[in-house]
Amino acid sequence: MMAYEISLLIVMGISITAGLSLNLITGFCGQISLGHAAFMGIGAYTSALMTKNGLPFFPSLAAGMLTAGIAGIFVGLCSLRVRHDFLAITTMGVGFLFLGIVRQQDALGGEMGISGIPDPGLGRIGFLLFVMGCAALVVYLSLYMKRSWLGFAFDAVADDEDTAGMLGLDVTQFKLIAFAIGTSLAGLAGGLYAHNIRFIDPDSFGFVESITVLSMVVIGGIGSVWGVVIASAVLSVLPLWFQFIEDYKLLVYGLLLFSVMRFSPGGLSALCFNIFSFFRKKLT
Amino acid sequence: MLFVELLVQGLLQGSIYGLIAVGLTLVYGLLRILHVAHAGLFTLGGYICVILTNQTGSFLLAVLASMLLVGITGMLIYRICYQPILDQPPFVPLIASIGLFIAMEELFRIFFGAYGLSFTELPLQEPLPFLQVSLKQAEWLTMLMSVGFVAILAFLANRTKLGLAWKATVTDPEIASSFGVDIIQVRYLNFFIGSSLAAASGCMMAVLNNLVEPTMGSVPSYKMLAIIVLGGLGNVRGTLIAAILLGIIESYGTIYLDDLLDRDSIAFVFLIIALMIRPQGLFQRT
Amino acid sequence: MNKKNLTVFLTCALFSFISLGVVNADSVKIGFNVPLTGFAAADGKSALNGAKLAVEQANQAGGINGKMIELVVYDDQASPKQAVPIANKLIEKDNVKAAISGSYSGSTRAAAGVFQAAGIPYISAYAVHPDITRAGNYVFRTSFMGEVQGRAGAKLVGATLQRKRVVLITLKNDFGKSLAAGFKEAAGQFNVQVVNEYEYSIKDRQFGPIVAKVKADNPEAIYATGYFFTAGPLVSQLRAAGITAPVIGQEGYDSAQFIKIAGKASEGTIITTSLDRDSTSSETRSFIKEFEAMAGHKVDMVAASGHTAMKVLVAAMKKAGTTNPAAIRDAIAETSLVASTGTISFNSLGEVQKNVQVQVVRGGNFHYHSEIRDQTLLAPPTR
Repeated sequence: MMAYEISLLIVMGISITAGLSLNLITGFCGQISLGHAAFMGIGAYTSALMTKNGLPFFPSLAAGMLTAGIAGIFVGLCSLRVRHDFLAITTMGVGFLFLGIVRQQDALGGEMGISGIPDPGLGRIGFLLFVMGCAALVVYLSLYMKRSWLGFAFDAVADDEDTAGMLGLDVTQFKLIAFAIGTSLAGLAGGLYAHNIRFIDPDSFGFVESITVLSMVVIGGIGSVWGVVIASAVLSVLPLWFQFIEDYKLLVYGLLLFSVMRFSPGGLSALCFNIFSFFRKKLT
Repeated sequence: MLFVELLVQGLLQGSIYGLIAVGLTLVYGLLRILHVAHAGLFTLGGYICVILTNQTGSFLLAVLASMLLVGITGMLIYRICYQPILDQPPFVPLIASIGLFIAMEELFRIFFGAYGLSFTELPLQEPLPFLQVSLKQAEWLTMLMSVGFVAILAFLANRTKLGLAWKATVTDPEIASSFGVDIIQVRYLNFFIGSSLAAASGCMMAVLNNLVEPTMGSVPSYKMLAIIVLGGLGNVRGTLIAAILLGIIESYGTIYLDDLLDRDSIAFVFLIIALMIRPQGLFQRT
Repeated sequence: MNKKNLTVFLTCALFSFISLGVVNADSVKIGFNVPLTGFAAADGKSALNGAKLAVEQANQAGGINGKMIELVVYDDQASPKQAVPIANKLIEKDNVKAAISGSYSGSTRAAAGVFQAAGIPYISAYAVHPDITRAGNYVFRTSFMGEVQGRAGAKLVGATLQRKRVVLITLKNDFGKSLAAGFKEAAGQFNVQVVNEYEYSIKDRQFGPIVAKVKADNPEAIYATGYFFTAGPLVSQLRAAGITAPVIGQEGYDSAQFIKIAGKASEGTIITTSLDRDSTSSETRSFIKEFEAMAGHKVDMVAASGHTAMKVLVAAMKKAGTTNPAAIRDAIAETSLVASTGTISFNSLGEVQKNVQVQVVRGGNFHYHSEIRDQTLLAPPTR
């Protein structure tokens, strides 16, 4: 048994799903979100409450995606009114509102959270394979969307909404689609998280978590699928690898976020691209 | 009576928010950076104030030194951290700033300990009753400072050459520079003033709580963003009004909406409603 | 193509990184997950120091049946997300025979499930969440459950202090909520009437509106849950507003920092806790002395809890005589031991049953006020 490796890979797989779900909204469609953890939370709470009440794992997970997606469309509708930094702060507000509501509802466990979430019953390896399968599907979906006409439409909206509108693109519709897909995938990540940790509380889906997911996207290289995959995988387990630097763990983490942005604003994908073109130039 | 007291408490809370948010909105107005590390400068200001007051025994001296030192730190942050990435999309400086903020919090913890610091002799504790309202000197000073600084800023902006240059740069940097305004100088000045306001706010927070701790910037780090958005991003007077409004709403909300929502959510419900009605914030950009 | 190659390379690098681990055969390993960075670092450091002291003492006394104890410490930042892989690492890579949580409720609860599934005994030093021990029979707690301490608070207010009209100021997290629930549950029993309850967030340091309202309520006593960093500003703001009713706190106040922050306003504050500063027990006295010599600062409840948990575990491992986790578990369950935080024994759920110490702040220090010994009131749940 490699329980530790399995648990790390599960954490990575869930992070990849979460990172890519935000990448769809922020990376592809240019809608910055500082409250993404709320949708993970909606998925986590929905699916956890359902499996705790004896419902099977897969339908509960799907229900979590559905509720997160519905909430996402609703927030997407609100986001139509605001742009850029105003949108960022509005989504941040949505995140805090979600926390505030969950904290106050005893039916949702309130401050005590929900513990004793049942095991999905797939075994550790089975669950790992399922998480990896989900992550792979999301990667595939992202790559597919990037190449499809939907991806081009998203690009146009991200570049310049007004021009996209003038070209006859239904900007509203595309924004809503991006929000719906992105948030329901966040719901998926949340559901997986809940059944991996098997304990959820409001703080697990707070502002810090939203920032963590956003930094995965930005560090990876906004819009770049493989960049986000690598950044999500690495950043999610970084604190565990950094155990040996003890006291300086978070300090290094913070400086790392800062340095990547300062020295390679395009994220890891731009960094790799630059390194490769540098070597190619040397070779030729 | 309770009604009035809650109003006063709201004004006080709003003044604390105001001091820190006005500094941030100055930076935003000029550079369009969501400068989260501003909350780290707020914490730094608090630490310097406590350490210097304990060393020298003079609170006034400590506040002035703290504002000066933090102002210089702010300029350094601009030079080293932001200047090279100004032309990047807004989330690049945002994440850089968040990384910087996390690193600052950890530095405070590593250097000064996780327990935080307190004054050995807490200054400004005498109660000063005024029209039935009894507040401590420190509380009066906080309110005075937030209104006073905004008044000074308004005076500087409207009456001095430097202020006019600043205003012109905010409105349109290109035209301003074609009229001979040194934009770089204006930016440094901006970071200096904004950061020293954060330091002033940190100093007052330190006196009010008799505690500075590594994480004292975590609440301001997001609430100040909400406030400058409400205030119309870059509008100094609007920001102060938004901060005070938010303080008052939180004050009544904590008592009367307690069963529905917590303090943070009350603030953000207000924010969301306000933005849905007025997507440019409550006040126009100047 | 290049990009793909890089991905493969990074994945390989990543795997080789994961599987680092060192094994040392001549010792017994005990795991310890604790927040050492981030917001909970202050409590984490204290708990770790307490546990280290217990390990040092045990090793000087010959270790566990001749083998030295090796403490394996991981920083979990009080996050459930990190606690699960850390628990797996402790069990599998470090091969620990038992583990202790010096962390908060979320991470402790998440890790407890992993230790239970692997059949490794796990002791929570000071996390209060009621569901922790419900993870299963391998999980124990050496500190009070929130509810139990809350009930003790009600008896303190109603019976010892004879105050009837009480206002609750509740910290909105699992700690404050479970304390308040226990207090309200037992309030009727001691004729205590809860006039009003106000809630605040762990991030709050300014309590102006609540203080103004409490002043209007004019209660006979205030039961305010919180930690030293919220309670310090709260108590000083209550006193500055001219409220003189006694403030009743709990073990979260139990730190010299509370007195430092609140200053003169802290005088007269009464708390329920598990560490008696004026104890005549030689165990407690020697712990306080040795801890303060080692850590260089005043003792607090968290340090005593870390020390107690480690002491209980070491004693059980000695008694079990083997490193078989099942035998260690059985030995822990039968514990009856005098530690710095009182006489420790567990009920069928793995919850501790001990007396509640009441301390009062006098002359800038915590001192003995009274002790609550009511065994039926203090009985933790058994399921």
